[in-house]
Amino acid sequence: MFGTHYKLERYSIGLAVAIIVAASIGGLVEIAPLFTIHETVERAPHMRVYTPLELAGRNIYIREGCYACHSQMIRTLSDEVERYGPYSLAVESQYDHPMLWGSKRTGPDLARVGEKYSDLWQSEHLNNPRSVVPQSIMPAYGFLKRTELRTTDLPKDLAALKRLGVPYTDAMVRNASDDAKGQADPDGAWADGVRARYGDATHVRAFDGDAGTVTEMDALVAYLQVLGHLTDVAHASEAGAGK
Amino acid sequence: MVSTMTANERQAALVISILAAIVGLAMAAAGRHDPLGVHGAMVLLTGLMCAFWVIRDYYKPEPPATRLAAYYDEPIKAGILLALLWAAIGMFFGDWVAWLLAYPEMTFDAAWSSFGRMRPIHTTGVIFGFGGNALIATSFHVMQRTSRARLADQFTPWFVLVGYNLFCAMAVSGYLMGVTQSKEYAEPEWYADIWLVVVWIAYFALYLRTLARRREPHIYVANWYYLAFILVVAMLHIVNNLALPVSWAGAKSYSLFSGVQDAMVQWWYGHNAVAFFLTAGFLGMLYYYLPKRAGRPIYSYRMSIVGFWGITFFYVWVGSHHLHYTALPQWVQTLGMTFSVMLLIPSWIAAANALLTLNGAWHKVRDDATLRFMMVAAVFYGLSTFEGSFLAIRPVNSLSHYTDWTVAHVHAGTLGWNSMIIFGAIYYLVPQLWKRAHMYSPALVEFHFWSAIAGTFIYVFAMWNSGITQGLMWRAYNPNGTLAYSFLDTVIAMHPYYIARAFGGLLFLIGTLAGIYNVWRTIQAAPARTPQSDQPILAVAQQAGS
Amino acid sequence: MGLIERDPHTGHGTTGHEWNGIKELNTAVPWPVWAFLIAAFAFSLVWWILMPAWPLGTTYSKGLLGADERQVVAAGLRASADRRADWTRRVEKESFTALLADKAVMTDVREAGHMLFGDNCAACHGVGAKGGPGFPDLTDKAWLWGGSPDAVLQTLRVGVNTEHADSRVSQMPAWGRDGMLKEQEIRDAVAYVYALSHPGVTKDALGGNAVAGKTVFSANCAACHGANAKGDIKMGAPDLTDRFWLYGGDEAAIQESVFNGRQGHMPSWEKRLSATERKILALYILDMGRSGQ
Ligand code: HEC
Ligand code: HEC
Ligand code: HEC
Ligand code: HEM
Ligand code: HEM
Ligand SMILES: [Ca+2]
Ligand SMILES: [Ca+2]
Ligand SMILES: [Cu+2]
Repeated sequence: MFGTHYKLERYSIGLAVAIIVAASIGGLVEIAPLFTIHETVERAPHMRVYTPLELAGRNIYIREGCYACHSQMIRTLSDEVERYGPYSLAVESQYDHPMLWGSKRTGPDLARVGEKYSDLWQSEHLNNPRSVVPQSIMPAYGFLKRTELRTTDLPKDLAALKRLGVPYTDAMVRNASDDAKGQADPDGAWADGVRARYGDATHVRAFDGDAGTVTEMDALVAYLQVLGHLTDVAHASEAGAGK
Repeated sequence: MVSTMTANERQAALVISILAAIVGLAMAAAGRHDPLGVHGAMVLLTGLMCAFWVIRDYYKPEPPATRLAAYYDEPIKAGILLALLWAAIGMFFGDWVAWLLAYPEMTFDAAWSSFGRMRPIHTTGVIFGFGGNALIATSFHVMQRTSRARLADQFTPWFVLVGYNLFCAMAVSGYLMGVTQSKEYAEPEWYADIWLVVVWIAYFALYLRTLARRREPHIYVANWYYLAFILVVAMLHIVNNLALPVSWAGAKSYSLFSGVQDAMVQWWYGHNAVAFFLTAGFLGMLYYYLPKRAGRPIYSYRMSIVGFWGITFFYVWVGSHHLHYTALPQWVQTLGMTFSVMLLIPSWIAAANALLTLNGAWHKVRDDATLRFMMVAAVFYGLSTFEGSFLAIRPVNSLSHYTDWTVAHVHAGTLGWNSMIIFGAIYYLVPQLWKRAHMYSPALVEFHFWSAIAGTFIYVFAMWNSGITQGLMWRAYNPNGTLAYSFLDTVIAMHPYYIARAFGGLLFLIGTLAGIYNVWRTIQAAPARTPQSDQPILAVAQQAGS
Repeated sequence: MGLIERDPHTGHGTTGHEWNGIKELNTAVPWPVWAFLIAAFAFSLVWWILMPAWPLGTTYSKGLLGADERQVVAAGLRASADRRADWTRRVEKESFTALLADKAVMTDVREAGHMLFGDNCAACHGVGAKGGPGFPDLTDKAWLWGGSPDAVLQTLRVGVNTEHADSRVSQMPAWGRDGMLKEQEIRDAVAYVYALSHPGVTKDALGGNAVAGKTVFSANCAACHGANAKGDIKMGAPDLTDRFWLYGGDEAAIQESVFNGRQGHMPSWEKRLSATERKILALYILDMGRSGQ
């Protein structure tokens, strides 16, 4: 064994190849089967996709690094289920490119925070967490309310995700910009289109309290309010046991 | 830097600088409504600056053939200074975000200065900026010395250094503008990722070409580790960063993978970024500078072999220990956990081999702060790998995951192991490269050592306490069967520990700044004589012949 | 293996190579290394046999124990439900009056309520349930929707202004923004409302006239807040004569309430919390109100 190595270590290319082989096996064995074993991702026939406004909000969540403090993955531990609700299923993040499971909980898990609080609370809290939760150590995101949401690129975003396998229809892609505006303006001209394309259960509201302009706050709150509500398979399955 | 290049190399440098400037211009124009445009401008500026440097010295006389009689140390010097610069930036942001968790108002009312954007500046700044530059610089040094051969050419090292730092600068400035893929330790967007691949290929080629010139038939252990670092990081980086850009004119992209597969790929990457960036590369460093400074032979060649292949093979299996109890199938978690336990053995072999090498040199450890940095690094390496394997056990992870216990583990590794070995190597290298008899102030090295040790202990103990407290509070049940604490109770309970951590971090940062000052003054001091032995074999042979 | 040279300190031979002064000893791997490696592998092997471990194409090895973390958590949840059962069953069955009088049950309620309230309600109502601007104090005597146990329970179940079919609806119109009242009328009404709770002030406040405001009030506001402005719990219209304010009792806040209107939103907890948990919370609040006064 040491003799073989004594020879191998004389050849840099040989050494390089040996390293690549040794370091490839583990990844192959663990990653490839996740695509072939069907039970890995549960089935959720009626799962809906993020609306353009929610997707924009998700991108803001990524941009601001909320995942540095918040997980979106309730583990299969009874205290977590009692605190946050049914444990997360793989299917719930099947359209998440990339996933936002997180690795640190400086703040609470957000996987099921959707509709837990009011829009007003969410926007006040983001605007200045300590105005509603004096003990909070979360950063204040005052600029969200002041910044108008850029909606012009949303058709491209949806098109990209469609190419990656998220089931957006062509109509959804085409109308993405208007749908984003419509979802934040319940009495406006585009509101009905959102409901028609994404279902009646879609939240169409002035999320930041002002229907006049579509701000980044609208988008982020819309995203937070849909967390855990794309599908209810988790509530239907064993994940909800005990509740 | 240009005056040490040959005419051909100057030509290549000029062409590539101009090419870079053109690409930068294209990016700036296409992305003028997007942060991509800012990065385009950065690339353009870098290209222009490099072109300017080359042109300025273009017609200077070529370096004499006698250059081949010496090692090519200029890029190493630059790499060390860059590493120190990034250390100051990265640790400053680390301590700032640490204070923010205790006093959230200690920042500006601006998007760029919120915790979520500055935290990745810290992690990227220290791991890739500080750690990466130190790895590149020391690898240039180690590959030349252990091959007794000069670097293969005078242009590629600069391409690697400048290119790599351009990547780091794009990464960090991107976070300030909100450009991130949100993949931990792989946050930079698609174009920066592609650029890093180009740089990395050049780096690998340089390594192989220099090894090919070596005079010793066998390749030394340190080089095995550096090679593993370069190769596996390339593999991880490419797969984890596969993404579809929304458009060529924008920074945003969507990861190719989603959900559970994305999580597994991310932590296969994330863990092995630790394994091959923060461990394999650094073991390369340890395997050169520790025996050198101690003046002792490596304790066991055979242990080196078992340790190296154990680490290379086992590490890749364990990424799933970051996903215990999640929606990742349980079978993968089992593999992650069991391989993590097995991984402890090769890890400890490497640590033990280093510490046993010190047998016969312990008096030097006592007297020499530089060697003490290296010794402490080996100890912390052993400690953090033990802790890592422990944390990978499912029931333990159910308590530690998501809490500050992970952060304690991280910083036992990065402060105690990575930073200590880097500083040890730097204190060894700086007088040698700049040809000084010794560091400007040995007392300041002592000071740095003790403030680093104190800072590390305060940091790690504070986070052990807060992590375990928080984990226990989350799962605490009242005797009547209900949960005892609300989440907010745990946030409040963390406050004193967060202050302690920020204070420990400050100590560590002060030590680092003292080190930078010391290095600076050493460079300013008057040169001493070159040691005769620090030359490539080729040159020695020539001198003997003439 | 090349030239063998012995290290004087350890007595071990070298491999005969030298890299810029670094040599290696050819020391044998100490036996504990092999022992630990074998032990770690044996541990892993056992784990692989017992637990789900290895992928096999479209399936994976299930392990002899048939372990499934999802069943483990379901069992854990049942176990903690069982541990609660002796007192939660009483909470479910017995009346509020009986429970509130029972020291033992209330101790359990307080312990359970601490986390339930802290993780669900404290975000709005504060850790001590003392409320804040826009979020009512739950420990005081002023109730928008009534302080009876059933009223509180109903508020928790359906919420206020929610998408729940039976939601309570609370709507303070935007008299100014929607142009229902003239600017001067609003100023007068504000002066009147301000005067109601500030006995010292009688006539003028914020450029308005309280006497004129009374007329405005009777014509527009009394429908909800009552002729005497004592509020109406059927509509969640607050009492405007007391010292408790939801949105603040200074002139600017009142002006804002009247000009732009108010629609407080209290979530419905029917889907998120079980009936028992909601009853525990109602008991918890009522108990806090008791001790708070
Ligand atoms: C420095 C860490 C930190 C960052 C960054 C952070 N948060 Fe928080 N977050 C917290 C803490 C701590 C709490 C708990 C205290 C509170 O409610 O404010 C919290 C609470 C929350 C809650 C309430 C959750 C609940 O169930 O009570 C939401 C929603 C939330 N954060 C969203 C966000 C979003 C969106 C972002 C990014 C734009 C973000 N957070 C960034 C620390 C953080
Ligand atoms: C999103 C913020 C929010 C959360 C979370 C919340 N509440 Fe409320 N709550 C309100 C608001 C706003 C009102 C006042 C509604 C109105 O204007 O009529 C209210 C009203 C109430 C009332 C009626 C008070 C009265 O005077 O009649 C009770 C009781 C109550 N909440 C209890 C709770 C409990 C218990 C919880 C947790 C399970 C909770 N609330 C969570 C916002 C919230
Ligand atoms: C349609 C019914 C209705 C009418 C008419 C109405 N109010 Fe209200 N008012 C409410 C309700 C309901 C609330 C509580 C809103 C909430 O809980 O968010 C309220 C709240 C208020 C408040 C805030 C109280 C606090 O505690 O902060 C003021 C002040 C007030 N009303 C004054 C008036 C005046 C003055 C008028 C007439 C110009 C008026 N209201 C007419 C229903 C009404
Ligand atoms: C001045 C010294 C330092 C201070 C004050 C500091 C502080 C911090 C803080 C506050 C965090 C965020 C923790 C959280 O989110 O709760 C963090 C994370 C991190 N730091 Fe440091 N740090 C320091 C040095 C370093 C060094 C030198 C390295 C690496 C070489 C490093 C690597 C990391 C990593 C990898 C993380 C991410 C951990 C995770 O995601 O779990 N840090 N640090
Ligand atoms: C045998 C070796 C090691 C093992 C088995 C190991 C294992 C682990 C485990 C189990 C976690 C926690 C995952 C979680 O719960 O989220 C972790 C996190 C981490 N470890 Fe290690 N570790 C080892 C060595 C090291 C070393 C030497 C370093 C650094 C120098 C290091 C750096 C990190 C970092 C940066 C993280 C944080 C990842 C994140 O962002 O969440 N580890 N490691
Ligand atoms: Ca992390
Ligand atoms: Ca990336
Ligand atoms: Cu790991």
